[in-house]
Amino acid sequence: MNLRFFDANVSIGRPMNKAMYEPLADVKALLAHMKKTGVGKALVWHVAQHDGSPCEGNSMLANAIRGQRSLYGCWALLPPNVDDVITPDFFRRMQKSRIVALRVFPDMHRYLLNRVVFGRFLDEVTARRIPLLLSMEFAVTWPAVYALLKDYPSLTCIIADLGAWSVDRYTYPLLETYPGVHIESSFLACTDGGVERMVEKFGAGRIVFGTAMPRRYTESAMLQLVHAEISDTDKALIASGNLERLVAGVELS
Amino acid sequence: MRETQSLRDAFFARGFVTDCPVYDMHGHMGPWPGSSLPRCAPEDMAYSMERAGVAIIVFCHHAALMSPDIGNRANIDAVRRFPNYFRAYCAVNGNYPDVIARDLKAYDRYPDVFVGFKFLADYHRVALTDARVRKVWEFANERKLLVLMHTWGGSAYNGPGQVAEIAAKYPQVTLLMGHSCHGEWDKAAELAKKFSNVYLELTAVLDDRGVLEMFVRKAGSEKILFGTDSPWFNHHHHIGAVLGAEMTDDDRRNIFHRNARRLLAPFLPRDWEKRKRCREACVSG
Repeated sequence: MNLRFFDANVSIGRPMNKAMYEPLADVKALLAHMKKTGVGKALVWHVAQHDGSPCEGNSMLANAIRGQRSLYGCWALLPPNVDDVITPDFFRRMQKSRIVALRVFPDMHRYLLNRVVFGRFLDEVTARRIPLLLSMEFAVTWPAVYALLKDYPSLTCIIADLGAWSVDRYTYPLLETYPGVHIESSFLACTDGGVERMVEKFGAGRIVFGTAMPRRYTESAMLQLVHAEISDTDKALIASGNLERLVAGVELS
Repeated sequence: MRETQSLRDAFFARGFVTDCPVYDMHGHMGPWPGSSLPRCAPEDMAYSMERAGVAIIVFCHHAALMSPDIGNRANIDAVRRFPNYFRAYCAVNGNYPDVIARDLKAYDRYPDVFVGFKFLADYHRVALTDARVRKVWEFANERKLLVLMHTWGGSAYNGPGQVAEIAAKYPQVTLLMGHSCHGEWDKAAELAKKFSNVYLELTAVLDDRGVLEMFVRKAGSEKILFGTDSPWFNHHHHIGAVLGAEMTDDDRRNIFHRNARRLLAPFLPRDWEKRKRCREACVSG
């Protein structure tokens, strides 16, 4: 079967420290890579949102993806009432800039991920069904994820970059307890039988395809999914259907 | 595979490529305390192998590495249950010289099981160069065996420095740097280039894009072996990474099977791959 891929986890921009991987320096490089690998759509963030300033990084991302129909963006959050990220017209600006999801980097940006810090703002994010991406590779800890979801149990979130070694003992209780929790597949696909067991226990609707390009190879998660021992319907949901559904459900107006 | 079809297209089309078997030189088996592994039983691993065209996994059972009271019996039992799928590395735990002495004494009773030894020095906290494991190195050197070492950057037990010392001292041993001194990638590539008996191994390397390309550039694809830590990592996931890396299909064939086939030749029956093709026919039939 020919799967349509919508990648939930792609970054552009050059990191502060030189890495082994060749970064996707700009949207042109990203689109060329997507064409080469057969990825149709992508949910993108900019490395400057993490390494530099979320304010400037968000703006850079919005400018970079402007006019690109195959790309959607993720903005990085900072706590309300401290910096200038969450402004009164925040959601309207998201809509104008094709931003359909949010990211947080609490350790790097020195804040806590809970109700004391985010108050009613994350209630509104919850009500608007805006997915919050929590990357375990970028200094979000498991206790922080558990604390966040205890405070905002209906939040739509995508836990990304799980780590190479299986973490099902962390993820399964969250999937069991919180219906808005989804798992990004770039590292889940790494565990032999990881995708299959999660589909069996929780259904394919809880997994979204992701590659972590350019830090990891796009073909890894792709080849695993293409030959996974799940139904073609489930493969299509994971490859793009689930993320399409989440994006369509976002209310920004 | 059609002559004009790339390995990438062929693996995406079928999941395995008959004329490009995959030799997995770094495997384990059985449960692990720190994670839940969905497919860690030998029969489940064998099934996964079929789906990705994996000709063999050379492994060391988790129990043999972590539980001295079980030891290498776990390896022997598994290989003898599935002789057309697996060969084993005899586990070495330097904390138990009595177990080592017993295993060395018994080693020759299992030519159908073992291809050499496996060290997990970081976990056992006994350096590769420690006097307690010297007899293992001498034994392996005399018999020209393969030794898979867990290697990690910055380690005082199995870092690049310890590998260099062992490589120079025991030139008849073929040293497989499991995880390729993870993090100290440049030093790993230098070791593979400098010592003819040292190979890079790709378990937990392939989730860092760019490292493999550097290895091919600096050490050459002839010095790189495919591995997955199976039952940890999915074969298609790691195969996909090799397919996505910038290199030729000729390089990929070196990594997937040519290098390992050469190293394993003294330890496997000549008709090993023919057996694999029979297995494939049974599965697809």
